[in-house]
Amino acid sequence: MFEQQLINGLTLGMIYALIAVGYTMVYGVIQLINFAHGEIFMLSAFLAVTFITVFGLPIYVVIVLTMGCCALIGVMLDIFAYRPLRQSPRLAALITAIGMSIFLQNLAMIIWGSRPKPFVQDALPAFLRTTALTVGDANISWLQMSIFGTASMLMIALFLIINKTRVGTAMRALSQNRTGAALMGINVNRVISFTFALGSAMGAVAGIMVAIYYNTLYPTMGYVAGVKAFAAAVLGGIGSVPGAMIGGIVLGIAEALGAGYISSLYRDGIAYAVMIAVIIFRPSGILGKSTVEKV
Amino acid sequence: MNPNLKTTLKYLLLAAVFVYPLFSFANEYVLHVMVLIMIYMVLAMGLNIIPGFCGLLDLGYVGFYGIGAYTAGLLTIHFGLSFWVIVPLAALNGAIWGVLLGAPTLRLTGDYFAIVTFGFSELVVLFLTNEIWLTRGPLGLPGIDPVIIDFSWLSTLIHPQWDWYWEFIGPQPYFYLGLFLVALVYVIMGRMEDSRLGRAWFAIREDSIAASSCGVNLLTYKVIGFAISAAIGAVAGAFLARWTMFLSPDMFKFWESFLILCMVVLGGLGNFKGSLVGAAILIALGEVLRIILPALNLPTETRFLAYGMIMVLMMRFKPMGFFPAIATQSRKNPILIKLKKDLGSS
Amino acid sequence: MIGKTWLKAVMACCLVLVLSTPALAETIRIAVASPFTGALAGYGDNVKAGVTLKVEEINAQGGIDGKQIRVEWMDEQCEPREAATVSARIAQNRNIVGVVGHLCSSAHLAALPNYLRHGVPVIAPTTTAVAISEQSKDRAGNTWAFRVVYRDDYQGEFLAEYVNEVLELKNIAVFYENNDYGIGLKNAFVGKAKDLGLNIVGEEAYVSGASDFNPQLTRLRGRNPDGLFISGYYPEGALIAGQADGLGMQVAKFGADGFDNVDYINLAGSAAENTYLTVPFLADAAEGDAQEFLQNFRERFNREVDWMSANAYDAAGILLEAIAEAGADRAKIREYIASINSPENAYHGIAGMTYFNDVGDTLKPAFVKMVKDGEFVAAPVQFE
Repeated sequence: MFEQQLINGLTLGMIYALIAVGYTMVYGVIQLINFAHGEIFMLSAFLAVTFITVFGLPIYVVIVLTMGCCALIGVMLDIFAYRPLRQSPRLAALITAIGMSIFLQNLAMIIWGSRPKPFVQDALPAFLRTTALTVGDANISWLQMSIFGTASMLMIALFLIINKTRVGTAMRALSQNRTGAALMGINVNRVISFTFALGSAMGAVAGIMVAIYYNTLYPTMGYVAGVKAFAAAVLGGIGSVPGAMIGGIVLGIAEALGAGYISSLYRDGIAYAVMIAVIIFRPSGILGKSTVEKV
Repeated sequence: MNPNLKTTLKYLLLAAVFVYPLFSFANEYVLHVMVLIMIYMVLAMGLNIIPGFCGLLDLGYVGFYGIGAYTAGLLTIHFGLSFWVIVPLAALNGAIWGVLLGAPTLRLTGDYFAIVTFGFSELVVLFLTNEIWLTRGPLGLPGIDPVIIDFSWLSTLIHPQWDWYWEFIGPQPYFYLGLFLVALVYVIMGRMEDSRLGRAWFAIREDSIAASSCGVNLLTYKVIGFAISAAIGAVAGAFLARWTMFLSPDMFKFWESFLILCMVVLGGLGNFKGSLVGAAILIALGEVLRIILPALNLPTETRFLAYGMIMVLMMRFKPMGFFPAIATQSRKNPILIKLKKDLGSS
Repeated sequence: MIGKTWLKAVMACCLVLVLSTPALAETIRIAVASPFTGALAGYGDNVKAGVTLKVEEINAQGGIDGKQIRVEWMDEQCEPREAATVSARIAQNRNIVGVVGHLCSSAHLAALPNYLRHGVPVIAPTTTAVAISEQSKDRAGNTWAFRVVYRDDYQGEFLAEYVNEVLELKNIAVFYENNDYGIGLKNAFVGKAKDLGLNIVGEEAYVSGASDFNPQLTRLRGRNPDGLFISGYYPEGALIAGQADGLGMQVAKFGADGFDNVDYINLAGSAAENTYLTVPFLADAAEGDAQEFLQNFRERFNREVDWMSANAYDAAGILLEAIAEAGADRAKIREYIASINSPENAYHGIAGMTYFNDVGDTLKPAFVKMVKDGEFVAAPVQFE
């Protein structure tokens, strides 16, 4: 049973991690908790299903297309909602994020209806539902394998983008000192938009994977996933991309094991309790930079 | 408008609101919404202490609101205590939890504190949902008595025929009780703002290092602020319990924390008078939309679409909130008044 | 600046006042209070569909006494706070003569004090909580709140007996949704099952809106049940069925009326096979009118009927019949509805006959459906 719970938790954690990097990257560059990120995750699932049912595109094309669309939505969100508030207090942008979240959620509800929908199973290769390998008493399906694979690949790609490319360097510069970065000739707004695009694309993949894995999509799905992913980002040390990945996986496993062994009623509570405990003992998360208070 | 006329008008409007429930044309629905607004006014004023005065983000205020409400609800149902006894008890319980949560976590900085408060409020809701033996869980807590004013012991002493016993039925008495609560919290906030306590908070908010070098014990003052804020939230909860006469964990979801935070930010961080306006606007907005949308032939489903959009737009054009803190601080300070007059600002 | 904002606030209040004053009544107005936004909007939409169909029928026949029926759709997001506000609004507006709602038991309980105090007859299509029975009377002892659905305790006990005698399962795992519906149903089921000597091997809970049930299911799987009772609604139920299948749990699944929606089969796919569920409404057992209703419903909304729509249709039917018979007056409507108190004068709706007891509860037969070859069919053995 333990192996199965671990696998369940790991799958969940991978998905949390993919969403959490979106939170943490945006937080890193503009110190904004982008609560609308969960809604992008939700929109991606609906867009993917729409592309499949209306245009009949194959699933691989749909994933790429949805990533593109969500990146675009993320950039638009930044340009129209957050950019005008760059110089305003941080809380103003936070409230805007909440407002956008409500708006997008209700928009999806009006466009696609409020009923849960199944994912289009016919569009998926049939082998996904079959068992790939058995570890102890745990069955790992090809679907879970491909979630691990895709998520790990994306994380590696993200890591390379952030650490090896010019734009990644610019992002890191921005997160250290925005004014300084601007003085060095970095186009701040463009880099921020790129960050939103990157985070949203990651969230989009997570959205499609969740929709396939659980075979359901509904307009409020972004809220719970978003909140959990946010907790994961904080757990790992907000602003730190590897931290978000680890935070997501830790949270997913803690949740699965907690629900399996302690109490399923306090399932979310266990996740939050772990989070609070980590923060109390490591006040800047698992991998966060601890800021020394200078006197 | 000249200032005198403005003041007169302000008091006239206040008086109009004050006597409105007494008229026979008073609309009970409007009164109901007004009572709701008043609960949120109390909440928004209480929350303002944390992000507004101390400069810390609190995403879990609804936890204290829920603690207060369930304290009141359970004490009423099991022990039949009077509202007037329950309010201090609820406040005390809120404050205790505020200290318990605040003491270990208020050392945290920035958004880590925010996320801890968020986790706390979720844990409160989970507790309310899952400890069915105590709270009846998701089944809710129906049948809470309304507020009762019982002076029959006194009246029978004076005159055997008299019966000074009133049970609150309908929104009118709650309206005045709510008004009383808002006024009480308002006065307390005003006194605190101008006290040593308030000045210490502002010092922490503006520059905690400087404040600490001046001998302000950061943690103590933050914990005091957190406890007071929690107590005010719990009082609002107690009022809610005796007003709606029904409680369920659904009423204290994370979303409520957001709503209250939005009120605070919209009204102006650090300005508790602004919180009053913020509460009035956001609660009234939901109701106004309920009425306007059908009039525009839009389906009910679009209500929160519009709500979200309006919130974004309000922040877009009033990013500092309607009344930024600086406008009201030490309004009685003659130098500042003179300065304001000279600068000719509103 | 302060003055200006005060002015704005007051203007907003005035606007509310002006807009909420009743328009001149050429129509008869009823209200439907349900969640039309938020997480449970899908259910609210079911209720909306049922009521819409009934009202359109009546209006097409010329309305009542030549007056058209107008429905005020009141969104309350299934939140008690919103529900209390909505009920105050409905109660205040004397032109609204009756209410169909609310959808959720908790919202219903929060709204009832306002209805009782002002005397508004209210018929709930879907609220199954037991506690409502104690809150349906005003101080004078008049029942104002009725419901056209059976209570959780009846349904849970019925299911336990069915499982025992017809399905003949012995080791039951219980998986319930942690809300009023799931808990009420589960408690009734487990209580009765234990009396009948069934073995409850494990009870697990989940929260609504969750999508990962593997941990709990893994735990239940370890106890080797031969039946899985899912006490909750179909969106989660479908996921549970699917994930149980994925974990290799080959057991009979059964649920209650919360499962009665075609989306259950759509979402769960092949995992839905051999799911049994109790329902208050069975299309096959339905009487003459019902087939016509089913036809109309499919044409109008392009989906299959679920029990919520059927119940909402009947609730609206009872309310409108009361208006037609007793006139558009709240007190008279209440008297008329309360007088439907025995099988002889029951209301014959599409979900069978409905009559109310002293506290406004209805006594209805339950039916059993099952999923076979990707479709809901009546279970081969019905049960009295």
